[in-house]
Amino acid sequence: MTTTSATTPTQSSQSSQPSQSDQSAQSARPSVAGLLRPFGRSFAAVVALQVAGAVAGLAPLLAVAELGRTLLSPGPVDDGHVRTVVAAGAAGLLLHLLCTTASSGIGHLLDGRVQLALRRQLAARLGRVPIGWLARRRTGELAKVVGDDVGAVHPFIAHTPGELTSAFVVPLISLVYLCTVDWRLTLITLAPVILAVALVPLMLTPARQREERDRDAAMGRIADAAVEFVQGIAVVKTFGGAGRAHRAFRTATDEFTEVFHRFVRGLAGTAAAMQTLLSPPFVLLAVLTGGTALITGGGMPPADLLPFLLLGLGLTAPVAALGHGFDDMRAAHQALRRIRDVLAVPPLPQPARPAVPRGHRVELRGVRFGYEDGHEVLRGVDLVLEPGTITALVGPSGSGKSTLVRLLPRFFDPGHGSVLLGGADLRDLDSRELGRAVSFVFQDMRLLRASVAENIALAVPHAAPGDVERAARAAHIHDRILQLPRGYDTVLGEEAALSGGEAQRIALARALLADTPVLVLDEATAFADPRTELAVRRTLTSLGEDRTVLVIAHRLETARAADTVVVLRDGRIVERGTPDELLVEQGEFTALWQSGRAGEVRTGTTARAGRTARTTPRATTPGTTHGPARGEDDR
Amino acid sequence: MIRTLFRVLGDRYARPVRRTVALMTAAAIVEGLSYALLVPVLRSLFGSSPHDAWPWLAVFAAAIAVCAVLRYISDLSGFRVGTTLLRGVYHRLGDHLARLPLGWYDTARVGEVSVLAGQGVLRALSVIAHLLAPLISACVTPLTTVAVMLALDWRLGLAALAAVPLVVLVHRWTGRATAAADEERAARDRDATDRVVEYLQAQPVLRAGGRTTERFHLLDASLQRVERSSRRSARAVVPGALGLTFTVQAVFTALLVLGAHLALGGQVGTAQVLTVLVLAARCADPLLSLGHLGGRLRGARAELARLETLLDTPPLPEPRRPVKPRRHDVEFDSVVFRRDGRTVLDGVSLTVPQGQRLAVVGPSGAGKTTLLHLLARFHDADSGAVRLGGADVRAVGTEELMSRIAVVFQDVYLFEGTIEENVRLGRPDATGSELRAAAAAARLDEVVDRLPGGWQTRVGEGGARLSGGERQRVSIARALLKDAPVVLLDEVTSALDPVNEAAVNEGIERLLRGRTVVMVAHRLSTVERADRVAFLDGGRIAEQGDHRELLARGGRYAAFWSDALTVASRP
Repeated sequence: MTTTSATTPTQSSQSSQPSQSDQSAQSARPSVAGLLRPFGRSFAAVVALQVAGAVAGLAPLLAVAELGRTLLSPGPVDDGHVRTVVAAGAAGLLLHLLCTTASSGIGHLLDGRVQLALRRQLAARLGRVPIGWLARRRTGELAKVVGDDVGAVHPFIAHTPGELTSAFVVPLISLVYLCTVDWRLTLITLAPVILAVALVPLMLTPARQREERDRDAAMGRIADAAVEFVQGIAVVKTFGGAGRAHRAFRTATDEFTEVFHRFVRGLAGTAAAMQTLLSPPFVLLAVLTGGTALITGGGMPPADLLPFLLLGLGLTAPVAALGHGFDDMRAAHQALRRIRDVLAVPPLPQPARPAVPRGHRVELRGVRFGYEDGHEVLRGVDLVLEPGTITALVGPSGSGKSTLVRLLPRFFDPGHGSVLLGGADLRDLDSRELGRAVSFVFQDMRLLRASVAENIALAVPHAAPGDVERAARAAHIHDRILQLPRGYDTVLGEEAALSGGEAQRIALARALLADTPVLVLDEATAFADPRTELAVRRTLTSLGEDRTVLVIAHRLETARAADTVVVLRDGRIVERGTPDELLVEQGEFTALWQSGRAGEVRTGTTARAGRTARTTPRATTPGTTHGPARGEDDR
Repeated sequence: MIRTLFRVLGDRYARPVRRTVALMTAAAIVEGLSYALLVPVLRSLFGSSPHDAWPWLAVFAAAIAVCAVLRYISDLSGFRVGTTLLRGVYHRLGDHLARLPLGWYDTARVGEVSVLAGQGVLRALSVIAHLLAPLISACVTPLTTVAVMLALDWRLGLAALAAVPLVVLVHRWTGRATAAADEERAARDRDATDRVVEYLQAQPVLRAGGRTTERFHLLDASLQRVERSSRRSARAVVPGALGLTFTVQAVFTALLVLGAHLALGGQVGTAQVLTVLVLAARCADPLLSLGHLGGRLRGARAELARLETLLDTPPLPEPRRPVKPRRHDVEFDSVVFRRDGRTVLDGVSLTVPQGQRLAVVGPSGAGKTTLLHLLARFHDADSGAVRLGGADVRAVGTEELMSRIAVVFQDVYLFEGTIEENVRLGRPDATGSELRAAAAAARLDEVVDRLPGGWQTRVGEGGARLSGGERQRVSIARALLKDAPVVLLDEVTSALDPVNEAAVNEGIERLLRGRTVVMVAHRLSTVERADRVAFLDGGRIAEQGDHRELLARGGRYAAFWSDALTVASRP
């Protein structure tokens, strides 16, 4: 992730104009500690309570040892002492419970707060990174960072302090205590642990590591095969090859189970040996053997054996914990890394002193742009869009049309050259200013899971219902909205779903309501149904006199309705002029439409009649004929 | 949980699983019994003749060796069974997915199922594989130890035994409390994930609305709900976890008090009391680990439940004696189809004579695509019948039916592989010249010539390396190669650039020639080339006839097109 973002055009533009980046944008990759600092106190409380609880938890065991010592001591038993010991044990237990309750409770609450804070930070950052950065990433991947990855931090916060404490603090205290009882037996008690640790390298031999890599790779193949199987199932079944993708899935799974079995078998011997070494009976055996030797040799009083029998087993805990919590920890660590990577993405630089555009003439000066190094999509574009005119952009697929229109709402910044609005570089504009100036209707407009009215009024949150409705009528979607279960209050995606063409019209209504002086349209989905096509075209013909419009035209009639036509090819403008001029010239433009109409030649007569009717050029400029029609349903 | 597995897989795997469980149990029992040897050892050490401990220690060592061997064997057996089970689940899942009706796979399902089939199954089974042994040993070893304690001294033994029902009760209670909280949490998480995806996808729009800086309230509200429900689930989990600790520790303390009391009264020997307390301490750890193990098992159970639901989804019924249609005319006979409580098609009757073209036209949401889906048996009709050559499609086997139909849908899915592989899907045994002929007819040859790798160019995941128009051409070539008598076409709604559009139109025209065609048409030019047009609205056929006839009638159909025709012709 870091490597790709380092080569983005946005970054290069940022480095060329460091003065623009605001301070917070410069934040380097935040450290884990940095992310968690605001929660330091609660975190410390969790750990402190856990330590106190763990130490108190030793009390009952120590009580047993002390009880043994008292009972085994020669002479009459001191009843009072026994009672005190038992009471101390019980008190320790109570303290243990109180502390761990508090620690665990605080830990879980803290966990929720940390997750919320991380998610908010991520959302805030993702709301400010360049759109181009977002566009190059799969949404699912980023959603996983905000969702699952933040969730994976859970053990780190809610469980790790407790587990680490019981895994390390308790054994350490036990160790010190046992040393004071008898250092020789302490060493013997540690023997199984040391032996087990000595076996660890056996689990990390090159062969084992290779098997682990094989396993991971095989698991990845299953995931790929599953995705392909399920996503492509319609194709597979309709082409009668039901066995094929299915077979690939089967092969992947069979392969995995085989690799997995080999991996597990390879580890089985060492794992079993380790397990046996760390198992309570084996540790007891070691303690008892050492103890018997010391006791029979007269080197140790029998009562001193008890603490070892009770606490000695706990010494294996760190090793067990290492194996046990390791996977969770590693997962949490990787998740945190991904979170930090996202938080480290520099946001779209905001100017320190925003410029104010004068008018809304749009100008592209020597614009070059590429999504990746060494492959430029736009290769030196100079273009002026005058207010009050419609400019149609045409060209074969891959010529850079979509990229060019996306520079206007600043989805990307050009690598070289600049885009100016009213004489000001877009990079010098406040992003809100830009939002107020430019609206767009592209393909695949995403609707929000919110009411229709909210969706339309997105850019104008406090719009009057009447205005929303007027925009909807103008976009030819009003009637359809009324058919929805709750009209304008219908929650899209929950109560009703709209088709692609309908979504497009909602987007159009949104753009009309925003009423920005610059409008960028991609005609691409105009085929969705005649109604949308109609709505888009009517919008074009009815825009106010002073508007700057840029439209990607896929149909001759749209191009012919424009004031200026610009033909793009391989990232360069190869022709420009009025539609009539270009048609007379018999150049690229003409060729393009002839090849485009080749498919229509066989069309029946009615269609050609229809086409001809539609291609009648408009005699006047858009503003003069249809100015007042905007915002009204003039059917 | 294991029962769920058996239900999923059938009893085939029951025996080896039982054998493994038996081995694991045996290992745990041996471990518990080996603790009995502590009694003579400690009695000797705390008594007057510590030397007597040696032979007992040797026996203890032998018991541990037996235990280790048993454990190793049970591990190996577990691995073997585990991988066999894994393979079984994968195969069963694969077979089932292949037999589910295609209509079942909507967009949400595709994501869900591919995750389940990928990591989900593995996660569920590996948790079981890893947890089975610790779980058995955490239950069986303490129980055996308690039996040893009972044998040693019945009073202390009984006191220890009291822990058993308590632990079981606490465990049950925790399980129930957390299950509810977990479910709520999972729902909130899903909601939040949806919101995040929406937030990300809607970034351009949100920014255009100037909502960059202000927190997007829909997302933020949903994130806050996640936090609240996680707080609730913490409240549900914490008491359970502590309840277990409390029970175990309280019983241990009770033993301590009772032991001290008995020892002081001289009723039980000191060595015995101390041995019991050491044994009791031994029981505590495995019991405490039960809480942790339980939580992880519950996670796996949710995954297994999803798997079970999936496997319980009825597959597309296959006829026992499939009929072979002799002709290729298509008939919809009062077809009713409902989905999610909505009537999508409401009594549709249509016929398409062999070799003719039917164009289905209508506003979005009218049920046009569903008609195609029913013919290809993505779903089955709720009432009425869809017939091919006079035979109900349900009586024709899927394999047979699919061999008669070629499908060109809007969203073309290509497999990660070469262009050639993707085209050959239409007819795997096609010769090279047949392949080239199909490609030329679909004007795919131009694309192939232009690409650096030619036929061997890899198309990327889902065909991502080709443009929409190029993918369409691959899909048309595929259908041409298949050379099926019936063609279902869902015309692309989005516009292609002029070059691609011309190519696609040409290819489609060649594909349709001479075949029985049902197509969802969005363009006037396509409609005009159809023999018949059906205007569908709200799941019913509003008008039917040929294009001119319908236009002349001046009804709904004519109105539908007139919008598009009139606008531009106005000055």
